[in-house]
Amino acid sequence: MNLYEHKILLVDDEPALRRMVGGFLTKAGFREVVFAGSCLEAEDACRRENPNLILLDVMLPDGDGFALFERLHRETAASVIFLSARDEDENRLRGLGLGADDYITKPFLPEELILRVTAVLRRVYRIGQETEKSRVVDLGDRLIDLGSGVVCCNGDKDENAAEVTLTAKEYAIIEKLSENRGRIVTIDALCDAVWREGNYGYENTLIVHIRRLREKIEEDPSHPKHLLTVRGLGYKLV
Amino acid sequence: MKKEKVFYYRSGKLARTFRYGIFMTLGITLLVGVLNLAILLVSLSVYKNKNIIYIGGGEIRAALSMTEEGYVLGDEMAQRLAEEKQWAMLLDGEGSELWSYRKPAELADSYSRADIARMTRWYLDGYPVWLRVWEDEIMVVGMEKDTVWKYPIEFSIPWIEFIKQVGLYFLMLNLVWIVLLSAFFTRRFMRTRERARIEWIAGISHDIRTPLSMVMGYADTLERNGELSEEARQQAAVIRNQSVVMKELVEDLNLTSQLEYSMQPLRMERLRPAQAIRSVAAAFLNDDAEGGLQIEVEIGGKAEQLTMRADEQLLLRAFRNLILNSIKHGGQSENVEIQIRMWEARRRFLIRFEDNGIGYSEEILHRLRNRKKMEANPNIRGLEIVKKIVLAHGGRVRFGNRKEGGSFCEMWFLRS
Repeated sequence: MNLYEHKILLVDDEPALRRMVGGFLTKAGFREVVFAGSCLEAEDACRRENPNLILLDVMLPDGDGFALFERLHRETAASVIFLSARDEDENRLRGLGLGADDYITKPFLPEELILRVTAVLRRVYRIGQETEKSRVVDLGDRLIDLGSGVVCCNGDKDENAAEVTLTAKEYAIIEKLSENRGRIVTIDALCDAVWREGNYGYENTLIVHIRRLREKIEEDPSHPKHLLTVRGLGYKLV
Repeated sequence: MKKEKVFYYRSGKLARTFRYGIFMTLGITLLVGVLNLAILLVSLSVYKNKNIIYIGGGEIRAALSMTEEGYVLGDEMAQRLAEEKQWAMLLDGEGSELWSYRKPAELADSYSRADIARMTRWYLDGYPVWLRVWEDEIMVVGMEKDTVWKYPIEFSIPWIEFIKQVGLYFLMLNLVWIVLLSAFFTRRFMRTRERARIEWIAGISHDIRTPLSMVMGYADTLERNGELSEEARQQAAVIRNQSVVMKELVEDLNLTSQLEYSMQPLRMERLRPAQAIRSVAAAFLNDDAEGGLQIEVEIGGKAEQLTMRADEQLLLRAFRNLILNSIKHGGQSENVEIQIRMWEARRRFLIRFEDNGIGYSEEILHRLRNRKKMEANPNIRGLEIVKKIVLAHGGRVRFGNRKEGGSFCEMWFLRS
């Protein structure tokens, strides 16, 4: 199923806003957008249209969006993105783990909305998953295959001799860094990625792993060109 | 550390409440005092003639003259006694009547020592009487029945001494009580008023968001509309950018008002400030496309492992605001250099942001120092929020300028 074939239900009591957001979605390429202006209409539309994604305003004339969400959640498997006009909701959305996929605080820019909608659809319906090809990190003189966790020399040298296998921890580090290639990844975020059960006090161990990793992927590990240290903050893969 | 012109911001909420309490107490005291005085004056003027004014025994005795027919009362005094509806009798040392005037008929002519002792302070057969005693004469002045209420006042000496000693403290204690009570009610009153204001602001900020969504959305659409002229698109861009400014304003307004009155529900969790600092710094550096931004983070050895209870989003917000402020007032050089240091002192830890910008102006420092009300000054709104967030976490904050140029903000928090 194409990303844009998914049906979106927009629930908001303000007709002008419905028109506008509907316009954005259509323009972005979504073919089926349906609307509802109240809890009642939303439940009705949900049963009739069976949408894939619901954009749900928190404050509706005939009830609370959160309560509506609980009811809808039982009936449909649709993903839900909350639209909220109150900062106070943010706490609830962040804290309670209602099971909503995302939330957007009003006012928002069209691109932000489209970005969130497509991100949720991609995640939920696994559209456009990274292909194996993109799972290869090209460092110029070395290639890291995230599929197999192997580092090999780039080019037509003697490949067998140069192949090095990454340990699980090194793999986790390089995976996290390559996801954020060109950007600084803090020590904490790296520790989080490597020691998921709690990153407390692993900073020194991380340094050891980074050093070993450099030995595997850098030409000159003491003068790294790819895995750079950002002093005081973290590391960066370029 | 060098001496710098700085200050610590303190909330003083409690002090303020008590000041209100004291003012209220003074006000109430004054009001009650004036009211009582008024009532006293009015009642005095109304009951002027109802006071007990008995004619003194001495006076009557002086008006008596001894003649051959016995004692004779002067006409003037006789008239006065009649007018005041009073009577008098003169007894000798043994209690026998020597003379009397207007004496009720039911009263005896002679009295035993016990009778006299009994009547001295009280009543004579229900008649209120006052005695004046000479060596061998007793003048009894009386009024009609049921006109006077008498009560003796007696205190033991130790009690009086005790009252003398503790009375003042007792009074002061009462005053303290009144102040406390007034403070309590003032606080409640202020809280209700504050809550109403916060709800009002929250309501406005809510109501403004939906219309603003449309301004923002359509301005953005127009900006991207290739069919429009370049000029029109630029105008649309201005609308869009300004609506983003308004969005930030609305968010700040709501947050500021809630923090101002400690109404923001803090979602406290244990976190490591060092981690928060790094994540904010990294986010800014990652978003810095031109590369003119430098952020140096230095976490002192043990400070790395420090944890605190904090609302993560708010703390990040404070750090972000400080960096944004430094970027905005970068000033002098092309590059914005920011240093963030965190270190621990004995019972607290400090986080210090420094930059190489133009520093805070005297006016801004003055406004930040002024802890009275929120200022509607856009230049310090972000810093006000920093201040309030730090305070909400039980910390202290000071703003100032570095000697070598640039500004700094130093926060300290208690170690937990």
